[in-house]
Formats: sequence, structure tokens, C-alpha cells
Amino acid sequence: MAARDTALPGRLPWTQGRVASWVTTVDHKRIGILYIGTSLVFFLVGGVFALLMRAQLATPNEHFVTRDSYNELFTMHGTTMIFLFVVPILAGFANFLVPLMIGARDVAFPRLNALSYWLYLLGGLVLMSSWFASQGAARAGWYSYVPLSEKFFSPGHGQDLWILSIHLTSISSVIGAINFIVTIHNMRARGMSWMRLPLFVWSVEIFAILILIALTELSAGLTLLLLDRQVGTHFFIPDKGGNAVLYQHLFWFFGHPEVYIMVLPAMGIVSEVIPVFSRKPIFGYKAIAFSTVAIGFYSMLVWAHHMFSVGLPTYLNVFFMLSSMTIAVPTGIKIFNWIATTWRGNLIFDTPLLFALGFVGLFTIGGLSGIFLASFPIDWQVTDTYYVVAHMHYVLFGGTAFALFAGLYYWWPKMFGRVLDERLGKTHFWLTFIGFNLTFFPQHMLGLLGMPRRIYTYDHHGLWEAYNLMSSIGSGILALGVLVFLANVVKTARIGRRVGNDPWLADTLEWYTTSPPPAWNFDRVPFVTSARPLRDVRKRLAEVR
Amino acid sequence: MRRRPFVLCLVVGAALLLAGAAAAGNGGFAPQTPESPNAGRINDSYKLIALFTGLILILVEAALIAFVIRYRRRGRPRDAEGPQVRGHTRLELIWTALPVLILAGIGSYVFYKLPGIKDVPKARASGERIAIRVDAHQFYWQFTYPNGAVSIDELHAPVNRVVTLDIHSGDVDHSWWVPELGGKFDAIPGKTNRTWFQTHRAGTYRGQCGEFCGIFHAAMRARVVVEPRGAYERWLSSKAKPQLGRSEWTGVCAKCHGLKGQGDYGPNITGSPLLTDRQGFETILRNGRDQPNIPGVMPPVADGWSKQQLDALFAYVESKIVGGGGGG
Repeated sequence: MAARDTALPGRLPWTQGRVASWVTTVDHKRIGILYIGTSLVFFLVGGVFALLMRAQLATPNEHFVTRDSYNELFTMHGTTMIFLFVVPILAGFANFLVPLMIGARDVAFPRLNALSYWLYLLGGLVLMSSWFASQGAARAGWYSYVPLSEKFFSPGHGQDLWILSIHLTSISSVIGAINFIVTIHNMRARGMSWMRLPLFVWSVEIFAILILIALTELSAGLTLLLLDRQVGTHFFIPDKGGNAVLYQHLFWFFGHPEVYIMVLPAMGIVSEVIPVFSRKPIFGYKAIAFSTVAIGFYSMLVWAHHMFSVGLPTYLNVFFMLSSMTIAVPTGIKIFNWIATTWRGNLIFDTPLLFALGFVGLFTIGGLSGIFLASFPIDWQVTDTYYVVAHMHYVLFGGTAFALFAGLYYWWPKMFGRVLDERLGKTHFWLTFIGFNLTFFPQHMLGLLGMPRRIYTYDHHGLWEAYNLMSSIGSGILALGVLVFLANVVKTARIGRRVGNDPWLADTLEWYTTSPPPAWNFDRVPFVTSARPLRDVRKRLAEVR
Repeated sequence: MRRRPFVLCLVVGAALLLAGAAAAGNGGFAPQTPESPNAGRINDSYKLIALFTGLILILVEAALIAFVIRYRRRGRPRDAEGPQVRGHTRLELIWTALPVLILAGIGSYVFYKLPGIKDVPKARASGERIAIRVDAHQFYWQFTYPNGAVSIDELHAPVNRVVTLDIHSGDVDHSWWVPELGGKFDAIPGKTNRTWFQTHRAGTYRGQCGEFCGIFHAAMRARVVVEPRGAYERWLSSKAKPQLGRSEWTGVCAKCHGLKGQGDYGPNITGSPLLTDRQGFETILRNGRDQPNIPGVMPPVADGWSKQQLDALFAYVESKIVGGGGGG
């Protein structure tokens, strides 16, 4: 390759053109950046859907959007955020980081990796094309319960495109998951035993296993729905002998592991960021690693806590209540260990730490409100109300999205060689933190006051009105925060400060190589003697001097 | 420096006070004031969990904030490390075991309250139970009383008596929910769910469909009118006849077609020939759009209706709606 380039100066093969090189790339770092960039675009799209909904709900009896549009908006918001933003951006982080963190040259199957990205992009475009379908976009909710999502109640092709797009993104995720598992199992640097694996890589391992189990199962379930709609079967049509509750089991057997698919790698990011910015090792490495495994295991035993109001037999409700409460224990272990990590540290409040500690504080609230939901008699009161909307956003936005921002600020210099602006970063954090709490905390109260989810308007005044207005104002502040982040990205790309290999004095191997790393990642990989190989290298260098 | 824990205690104390005041005024800090024993026991469980989780929340957030303040950088160089503590087995065991104990306590309390929430009370001196059938439809609630009387969107019940509700659906999933009278129970086609309530205070309680059921989900509201026994019996013996046609029109038709049939989401129907053709009227109401010649999205709203119900609606529509003669 190099020989040919020097032989023909000025005439690179077309695959190395400015755009074409990104289209044809099989480099895990470039694919990771493609994933992250694309998913951030979908984050903006899904965010606009959310803002439109909050505008509609800001005051009672509002007519900002139509009923149909509102139903399309919340369906597309949920689907976009889950399938096109959170899971893919985590896959993007995993793509960029796993080989670098374990000292490998690339993932095990680079071409499959590229296929995975392009299928994801296709899936995203198919979902968005649903807006142009006859009779409008999918509008049966991101969970598309039958019979509402059956052809009789949801005619038109919006729903079919929704199924197709989930099939595509599922295949993409499954391919990626296989890639991560094979890479982590076989391509670790010499000396990197399982107990020296970075905690982020641990979380990607469990993330990948859960994807293999849950998304394949969802694809099967949705295939049955597609057959019902297009071929005339009646798996889920009760008056023809089908079973509507079966779909709920199929959906939530995917749906709950999915929550942990979206949370575990975010926890992995936090487990990387907090020790580096506390200048301490992570407190209880093994406890965190094993609680990741435990959460992954229990996540497959809790699905029917989404179905407490279905009228399942009491013994089942009891089982799912106990299993759901059990999962709070390993989650608690993680939170306690993160806080213990900051104890007596030298806390350096750069933006990554702000977002990571924001994660700890907010995720705790989401975790504790989950205990109410796990107790099924209480769930009977609060399920399908704004209480659940609040709980779920404390987990997925206050939790995962905060961790994602921590990760972006932390690894941006590794990805692009420039560090994001700190002042804009801190503005971004505070706008997001305040906007987030203002948007979602009042929703707990709305749920307890009796506001169901997915209603397009309400005619109650007083507290309902006040809390809804607060929430809508908060969503505007959140949006402002996102704009500041975008400004930061643009500013950094133009005049951002260039930094060296290891600006944060980090612990893990990705900081051993240049920023950005060369296509082959490492010239040489040091022998790994602990869970903090880079700190070991720095210590050895200091001794030599 | 010694001052900081004191300030922290003050802040936490103020927060607790505020939370307590808010809970007392119930500005949305606990489920709505219960008016039925099952709802009351759910509230008791809620409050117990709120107590424990509230304490944990304060503990965790206080530790986080205290460490953030106490161990911030304060001009130390970036490479100044904290003590390289890797963990503490006994601590790990404590914060594993303690949550297990707390959760066991919470679980036990919920299980202790469970029979009183779930099980229908036995018939006692206060009188027999009244069994009412609830049929959820896109987009209205239909209630059928023991004597065959029917009402739409408005459930009538006497005070002090135990009322059981058998919840059905003929089309998509809905969920029966009146917050003051207990939790949600889904209406799922092919399945019957049962819940109950008993209230000692006459009044009107508002409820709303809890499971997204389509375009008019937000309009699928219910009122539970609890009245003294005599008033209830009178209402029941009249079989709600005079109001039936009207309540069917407002609950079933008007949500889509407007109160005067002038059209809203659905088309203007004031001039429709179907309104005066008893047979065609029945066909469209029973089958909705699911037939060759009717385009649009009309659901089979009258699926399962009795002849009397159809007659009542037909009579009301003929006298009040045809020709745009003003409804309501």
C-alpha cells in the first residue's frame, strides 16, 4: 500500500477520497465515529419530537399539533431515542474504545462491523420514511401493543415500516454484539486477564450478550406481528384464537434487558471517568464487575413488572416484584462504590466528571423510584402515568445521556486530537442539569395527580397546569444545553486546543497511543500488569527518570 | 471548616420539612387521597417505601455533595493522587446486606397489605356486593348493572356497598383507572379482570383510560357517581332510559363527530341518510369501517350492544341530530 502511494504521488485510489474513505472504511475507530455522529443526529431529531410534545402539553386544551401527529410523535420519539440514539451511540463508543482499551488492532470482523453500521443507518432511514407512509407514521407507541398495532386498528404502512426498521437495527446490533464478544474474548493484550479488563469493556461484554438474547427474541416477536398484518395470520388477534397478552410477554422479554443494554455501558463509562478525575483507583473493582454480570442476569427475570396491571396470577406478580427488587441490590453496590471512589480523592472538576457525578446523583433518583414501581400494588396506581415517564427519563436521560456526555467530553481528544472547550462544556452541563430536573421532576407529581401517559391534551387546571408548564419550560432549557454542545463541537473543530496522547493522565490503554490513533492503533502494546496499565507505564517512566 | 457538616444538616433538614409540608398538602407527592380501602392500603405501602427510599436518597446525595465539596481539587496539581484505596470487603458486604434487609422489610409490608388490596371483601351487614360489568371500547366506557341497565362513561354506585367490576374489552387494550378508588386494571380482549371499590363518601370521582388505545385515548374518561342508596335505586329502576340515548350520543358518537354531529375528527354526519335508516344505522355502528363501501377509520362502536341500546341512540339521533337540529 505504502509503496503504491509513493509510486503514484497525487493520485490516491478512489477509496481514499475525503468522503469515500468514510464510506468504504472498515476501521473500527472511523466506524465508531460514524456511529456516534449518526446517532447524535438522530438524538436531535428525537429531541425535536419531544419538544413538539412538550409544546402541545404546556397548557390545557392546547392545539399545537393534531391528535394523530401527537400519537406519531411519541411513538417516533421513543423508537428513535432507543433504537437510533442510545443503543447505537453505545455501540459507537464500544466500537471506538474496545480494541483500543484491550490493546487490539481492530475488532475481530472489521467488514461485518461496517455492515453493522450501514444496516443501522438504513434502519434509521426506514423508520423516518414512515412519516411519508400512507396514513402517516407508526402511532401505536414504541412498544406497539396488539391489537392496536394490528392491521384493523392501524391501517397504512407506517406500522410495517416501523417493524422493518426495528428488524434492520436489530440485525445491526446482533452483528455488532457478536463482533464485540469475539473481540473481547480473543484479542486482549498480553497480560490482560479478565480481572484487569477495563470496567467499560466488562459492561460491553454484558451489553453484547444481552443484545444477542433480547434483540433476536424481539425480531421473532415482531415477525409474528408482521405476519398478522400482512399475511393474515392471527397470532395476537383474540377473537380468532390469538392471544394479546402473549405479545406483551414477547415484547417485554426484550424490553427489560433492553433497559440494561442501554444502561450498563453508560455505567461502564462512569466507572472509567470517576477514578481518572478523582486520581484514585476505582473502589471495589470486582464488586462493580460482578454486579454488572448480576444485573445482566437478573435483567432477564424481571420483564413482567411492565405487565402488573394486565391481571397476571398473583404468584407471578409476586415473583416479578421480588426479582425486580433484587436488581436494586447490585445497582446500589455500583452507586456506593462510585461515591466511595471520590472519597479522599483529588476531584478535578472538568466537564467529564461533572457529567459522571451528575449521572450518579440522578440515576439514584431513577433507581429509587423504581422500587415503588416494583411493588405491584403501587404499580397499579402509577403505571402508565407520568410517574413512569419521569422514572424512565431519570434512568435513561439523567442516567445514560449524562454518562454519554461524560464519555464524549472524556474521549473527544482521543477521537479528534482536540479537547472540547471547558467553559462551554460547563455551561452545557449546568443547562442540562437544571433543564433536566425542571422537565422531569414535576412529572413524578403529575403521575401521582393522575395524569396518564400518551394523552395528547388535558383540561385540568391548577397543579396539572403548573407542573406541565414547568416541564415544558425545562425542556426548552435542555434544548438550549444541546445547542451549547453543538456550538462547542463546531468551535473545537475550528480552534480547539490540540492535546497529546494522554491529556487527563488516565489509566487505560487507549491513552497510550497517539490522539487520534493511527489506523493500526499501536506501534507497541505494553505488557499489562494491572487494571491500570497506563498508570503503571507512567510510574515506570518516572522511576527510570 | 467545622461549619460545613452543620450547614449540610440545615439544608437536609429544610428539604425534609419542605417534603413533609408538600406531602401533607399532597401536591402530587403521594397518590391521591384514597376513598376506598384498597386505594388506602396502596397509599400506606407508598408512604412506607417513600420513607425508606427518602432516607436512602438523602444519605446518598448528601454523601455525594459532601465529598464533592470536601475533596475538590483546591489548586492541587492534576497528578496529585488520592490514597490508592482499592476497596473494602466489609463495606461491600454491608452495603450489599443492608439494602437486602430494607427490601425484605418493604416486601413484607406490601405482602401484609396485599390481601386487603386485591381480595374483594366478603358480603357483610352493609349489604350484598354489587357486580357491574365494565366494557371498554374505542373510545368510551360502558357499564352494565345487575338488572340489565346500561350507562355510558358514567358509573353509578351506592355509598358503603362493595362494588365489583368485571372489566372487558372488545377491541384494543384499555385500562380502568379511578385513582381515588384503587389501581389500574387493564381491559384486554379475550381476558376478564376484576377489581372492586367501596366508598363511604358520596361524590363524583374522575377516572381516565390508563392504556394508550388510539386517537381518542385522552377523551376516554369516566366518572364514578357515588350516591346515597335511595338515589341509586331510583336511578337504577328508571334504567336510565331517558338519558341513555343522550349519553350514548355524547360518549360514543360526539367525541369524533362533534356534539351536534357537525364533524370534528370524523365527518359531519348531520345530513347522513344512515341516521334515518334504522338498518344502515345498525350496520355501520356494529361493524365500523370493516366493510367494503365505507372508507375512513370508524371503529365498530356498537359491537355487542343490545337492541334497546341501539333503539335509544336511534331515537335520540332522529329527534335531536338529524338536520343539524342541535344536540346536547
